[in-house]
Amino acid sequence: MAVETVTAKSAGRAKAQAKAVRERRVDWAKWGLGGYFLLFIVFLYAPMILMGILSFQGIQGALTWPFRGPISTIWWESIVDPDKPNPFISHATEIRTAGQNSLWLSLAAGAIVAVLSFTLSMAFRRRFRGDGLAFYVIMLALMTPGYLLALGTQLFWSYMEQSTSIWRTVLGANVVWGIAFGFLVMVSVWNRYDEHIEEAARDLGADAKRTFREVTLPLVWTGLFGAFLFGFTLTWNDYDRSVLFQERSTDTLPLTIGGLTFTGAIRPDLYALGTATTLVSMLAIVLMLVAVAVRARFRGAPVYRVEEELGLGEGLRVSRRAPAGEEAG
Amino acid sequence: MSSSSNPERPGPERGGGGSGAQLDLGEVEQAEAFLAEQPPTVEKALGEGTVGLRKSAWGTLAWATPGAAWLGFFLLAPLTFIVLVSFWTYEQGAKSGFRVEWTLSNYSSILHDSVYWNNMLTSFQTSLIAVAACLVFGFPVAYFLALKVQTLKWQIGLFILALAPFWTSFLTRSIAWTFPLMGREGALNKALTSLGIVDEPIAALGCSTLSVRLAMVQLYILFMITPLFFTLSQVDRSALEAARDLGGNWLRTFKEVILPQAAPGAVIGSIFVFVLTMGDYSTTRVIGCNKIASVGTIVNSNVELAVNYPRGAASAVLLVLALIAGVFVITRFSNLREEL
Repeated sequence: MAVETVTAKSAGRAKAQAKAVRERRVDWAKWGLGGYFLLFIVFLYAPMILMGILSFQGIQGALTWPFRGPISTIWWESIVDPDKPNPFISHATEIRTAGQNSLWLSLAAGAIVAVLSFTLSMAFRRRFRGDGLAFYVIMLALMTPGYLLALGTQLFWSYMEQSTSIWRTVLGANVVWGIAFGFLVMVSVWNRYDEHIEEAARDLGADAKRTFREVTLPLVWTGLFGAFLFGFTLTWNDYDRSVLFQERSTDTLPLTIGGLTFTGAIRPDLYALGTATTLVSMLAIVLMLVAVAVRARFRGAPVYRVEEELGLGEGLRVSRRAPAGEEAG
Repeated sequence: MSSSSNPERPGPERGGGGSGAQLDLGEVEQAEAFLAEQPPTVEKALGEGTVGLRKSAWGTLAWATPGAAWLGFFLLAPLTFIVLVSFWTYEQGAKSGFRVEWTLSNYSSILHDSVYWNNMLTSFQTSLIAVAACLVFGFPVAYFLALKVQTLKWQIGLFILALAPFWTSFLTRSIAWTFPLMGREGALNKALTSLGIVDEPIAALGCSTLSVRLAMVQLYILFMITPLFFTLSQVDRSALEAARDLGGNWLRTFKEVILPQAAPGAVIGSIFVFVLTMGDYSTTRVIGCNKIASVGTIVNSNVELAVNYPRGAASAVLLVLALIAGVFVITRFSNLREEL
């Protein structure tokens, strides 16, 4: 008995030592890479943060450093309130119209992208003749430079003697761009989707329609939402695909931003506008995260299930830290 | 030994489907008897099966149609039209600026245009540099997120932190890059001079090819990190531990375990970065302050300044050919469709 305890003890100590050595070795690389990651985040966010800070300059505000105080919100007010008297030109009216145009257009694009990438991915689940070619067409949608697509669209529509507009052509081109991303999201969802569930539903007597409605759809809901979000944000931010179809009354926010940039009269209100559109995009992401989290709660599922549905899948699950059983042994 | 798995830990493999294989012989007999009793049901089931099969071709067609129609009308038709117009004749004052008369003159004038080729070359260089830089600087980020961050919560949180700028406008990010950060009066020059690293502000930081190239990395690196992160997070950590326990050094583990896994991600990321930087138009225009040219800005100047659509279309076609060639070369490194 006593001998056994001793060997168990020493074995445990050896194990702990090995673990400590391993952890020390891992830590070194981990902290190094962690520091690098931090630098990377700074590199990524610095321009936008600098821009945000400069949007709070005073009336003397310019485009570059140093910050010309006092700290004020006049530039923000000038993009929101058209009636506020300003010593400079306020673009608030056009920004408001542009904001509305952008919002409706992006919502529509998001919805269409969600539907179309879902239907396309459903077709791809059943392999069909020519699916390789079709896959390349979708990749083409991803890779066609936005400006070229806009050019082609303009040539095509003007040849058909159709008038172009934000709602006709820009929506079309942006949905094409969004479908590519939405489709990839859906494909990764299906790749991690267990088809046996559908089989089980059928075996239990559900017909195709019911299986689809009650089993398939609820399971890929998160992917659909991801596709919608891609469609929404890509359209919300698009400039290249819309620039050829500018019309003052139907301009989107990026077009207004581009107009402010390229016409030369750049003032810090451009920074305020840029920061504002950025914040809306960030808000969209936060909304999605909240929706995903709420859904996870609601279903009472462990959190990693949701990542699985998002296509973050197996890798993350494997990478979960093993439960603290090792130390006990 | 030290890395023996805990029985309670959720394994990487999906729920074992094989456990239901041990059927009692009696149960099978019972089932057969049950089926024999109800031949109509079986027949019905079989019938439905064949109907389902026959239906499925139509079903696939139905699923594919809306998306295919949209892509056909808004992607393939416009692209086809660019090709067509590039062979048509430029005519000032004609409807849409060209008439339908086949010609090669658009191409021949571009082929002899050294400015176009210089820009093509510069754009190509910029893209190659961007791809290489994104790969080199993006890989450690993806590696850190996928393999070094321990808990899932942190992994997702940090990944979204890195990914969030992707959801904001490239135009806005270019503006933020150009004016507050770069340039003679930009924050970077201010910081460098006040730290005493340089005496004079570096003029080359603003409105220059250097600035454009740096910005390309800043803007597009997320397209590299994302696929790399997804492929790297599929690396089995226990395989890494096993490699180490078996005495493989870091380099060897990296070469034989991590790289093969990361290859498809690197290929996808390279395609993204290459195509997006090569075809870029507005970023170059903002960051280069209208002074730096790329293929995209050349196409634009043909269209907006000269209103010469056929020539613009021809230069666009050449750009697309360059893109396709580049993507073709990149895809040789990995079989994407299999890996996806």
